[in-house]
Parts: sequence; C-alpha cells; structure tokens
Amino acid sequence: MLLIGSLVAVAITRAVAGPILSLQKGAEAIAAGDLSHRVGTLAKDEVGRLSRAFDAMTDAIDRRVRERTSELENAVAERKKAEEKIQKLNQELEARVIERTALLEAANRELEAFAYSVSHDLRSPLRSIEGFSLALFEDYVDRLDDTGKSYLDRVRNATMRMGRLIDDLLKLSRVTRSEMVREKVDLSVIGKDVAGRLAESHPERSAEFVIVDGLISYGDARLLTVALENLFSNAWKFSEKAPRSVIEFGVLHRENIEVFYVKDNGVGFDMAYAGKLFSPFQRLHRIEEFTGTGIGLATVKRIINRHGGRVWIESEVNKGTTVYFTLG
Amino acid sequence: MKSKIILLVEDNPDDVQLTLRALKKSNILNEVVVAQDGVEALEYLFGTGKYAGRDTKVLPQVALLDLKMPRMDGHEALQRIRKDERTKLLPVVVLTTSSEDRDRIESYSVGANSYIRKPVDFNQFAEAVNQLGLYWLVLNEAP
Repeated sequence: MLLIGSLVAVAITRAVAGPILSLQKGAEAIAAGDLSHRVGTLAKDEVGRLSRAFDAMTDAIDRRVRERTSELENAVAERKKAEEKIQKLNQELEARVIERTALLEAANRELEAFAYSVSHDLRSPLRSIEGFSLALFEDYVDRLDDTGKSYLDRVRNATMRMGRLIDDLLKLSRVTRSEMVREKVDLSVIGKDVAGRLAESHPERSAEFVIVDGLISYGDARLLTVALENLFSNAWKFSEKAPRSVIEFGVLHRENIEVFYVKDNGVGFDMAYAGKLFSPFQRLHRIEEFTGTGIGLATVKRIINRHGGRVWIESEVNKGTTVYFTLG
Repeated sequence: MKSKIILLVEDNPDDVQLTLRALKKSNILNEVVVAQDGVEALEYLFGTGKYAGRDTKVLPQVALLDLKMPRMDGHEALQRIRKDERTKLLPVVVLTTSSEDRDRIESYSVGANSYIRKPVDFNQFAEAVNQLGLYWLVLNEAP
C-alpha cells in the first residue's frame, strides 16, 4: 500500500513538477528576451492547460511586442520625415531671405543712384535759370520797369527755393539709405552739442536750452543727431517770436516706457491740422511767417521709425509745441 | 610777360557762360581756354588732335575741371593729367555741382588740389570764383 502510494506520489510529482519546471524555464527564457520560446505540451490536464495558456500568453505578448515595435518604427520614420521636411523648409527660407536681401540691396542701390542723379541733373538747369535771370537783371536793368524787375525777383527766389528743396530731399533720402548702427548713446550730450551749434550759427538771437542730463538710450548716434538737429531747429524757429525762447529736452515715463520730448514755448499750432505734419513738405505756416521746406518732421519720423519707435506731437496755438518720441 | 592761362573744362555751355561771366565780374581778364570734355582738355595739354602743334611747354596756371562730362569724365582726365610727367604738377581745381561725398573723396584721391561745389546762387558762385582767381592766379605760386 505504501509503495503504491509513494509510486503514485512520485508519478504525480513528476507529472506536475516536470511541466512546472518547463514553465519556470519558459518564464525565465521569455524574461531574458526570447519571445519565441514555447513550452509546448500535449498534456490534457490542468498543468497542460496552464502550459497552453502560458504559451497563448506568450503568443499574445509576442504579437503585441511586434505591433508596438512596428508602431514605434513608424513613428520614428514619420518624425524623421518631419525633421527632413523642416530642414528643407529652413533651407528654402534661407534661400528666400538671401534672395530678398539681394532684391532689397538692389532697390537701395537704385534709390542711391536716383538720389545722386537728382543731386546733379536737377541742379544744373537750376543754376542756369538762376545765373541768367540775374544776368538779365544786371545787364538790362535800365530797360526793365518795376514789374519786370519784380518778375525776375520771383524767378530768382523760386530757384533758390527749389535748390533748398533738392538739398532737403537728398538729406531725407540719405537717412533712409544709410546703414544703421545701434549702440549706447547719450542723448543729453548730443542735445547739448546740437544746441551749441544752433546758438553759434544764429548769434542774433538767444534761447534758453534746458537739457536734462543722463538721457541714455540705444540707437544710431549719427541719425539721432540729425533728428535732434531737426527738432531743436524747429523749436528754435517757431519760438522766434516769443519774448524769451525756452527749449526743453527731457524724458518722462509712461507705462514703463521712456518717452523723450522736445518742448518749445513758441507759436504752436492748431491740433486740428496736425494730421499731415509728418509728411514731407507739409507746412502749417506761410512762407512769409516762417521759412523752411517742411521736411524736418518727415526726416525725424523716418529716423524714429528706423529705430522702431514712435513719434507724436502736441501743441496749442501761442502756447508752444512738444514733440514726443520713443526709441523702440 | 606771359599771360597766365586758365583752362576751363566744362561740357555745359550755360555753365561755361556763367563761369566766364563770374571771372569777368572779378576782373579776371586772363585768357580762358575752354575744353568741352576730358578728351579736349588732354588734347590741349598734350598738343594733340584739335590742338596739334601747340607749344606744350606753355601750361595753364590752373585748370578748372568739371566732373560729369561725356566721352571722358573729370576723374579720368585728372588721372591722365597726374600720370604724365609734363602735367602731373598742374594745379587742378574740381568745380562741380555734385555734393556727393564719394565724388569729393575720389577727386582728392586722384590728385585734385581743390574741390569746389558750384552753388545755385550765382552771386555766391561769383564770390567763389573771385576767391579762386585771387588764390590760384595771384597768391599761389605755380610749380
């Protein structure tokens, strides 16, 4: 009895232990990465079913892993394609930028050539008109009545005016053409220089310049000098009739932005007409009242725009004018 | 005494007239030789072409040179003048309507002695010519 019992026990153990050992070996193999491993069994008992279930599980895992791998490979391939596309777009963009820059440079050179020929070609006939109308006046003055003389006067004045217009147009075009250098600038120093030169060239008048110290900003020193020259000389000109001309240059802060201003206590103007002030050749006063070609503010606007800033103006008749500007 | 000659190199006939008028106004009565472009100026200076047979030892006291001229412009003419032993020391005043920096710089680089912009205002021009005459014909001592 005991012998049969122990034989049965051994058989059972073997029937169970064997397959279980296989399962263990199988699990180890799969864990090590061999997904092709199958334990295989023909047994029809529970252990057999377990083994078959195990193999089915391994099949499923194997399949899933293959699917996922292929999905991942697809994703990587797609990403690679997208990267190549981006690279290609970047190259196209760069090529386009190079092309546009070349076109821009060509346009600039055309503008330079145009401004240059204006300088030369328009002045020649102007000189002829001027010179010979004066010669006419001088050589035939006794044959001219007052009306004749006044006609010639008008011709000469008009030619002078045209000469100034040409000069100013050239200056304006130079502002657009030139290269811009951005560096730290001390506007107070520049302002004081400009004020000094203005006073020197107009010794018949005096004006008080109130220039705040330490107006530091970033921009092109040369262009900003031109801008301040225009602003100061406007302030100077339009405060001519004030008993005491005071021109202020300072800064105020609006919403964290530095706003520079040039303020005069001169004749001012009606804000209703301010719209066109920054266009070239726009003037609000007649020539007899104030000289000038009306190009100053247009020049200032161009310079400020090139700095990425804004410029605007406030005024009141007989109370003076303030020009505000920011520098990008 | 040999008269001091002024060589005026200018293609625009109006400008020639105005310059002559300005010289007259300043009482500058020297002989003025007018060349209409760089080619004629060199012909005069070297005694060729139109001026074949001219005694080339006689040189102008000063040359007034315009820049923009047909056939040969001022800068090229000036280069040729400076290259030739006979004329390389000739005082040359560039008299032009151009206000371009590069023209001024180029003129001096090529060897101009002076660069004057012709003003639109004739009175100013006459004044400039007066001073030019005073300087180059009277004060300055030619080489």
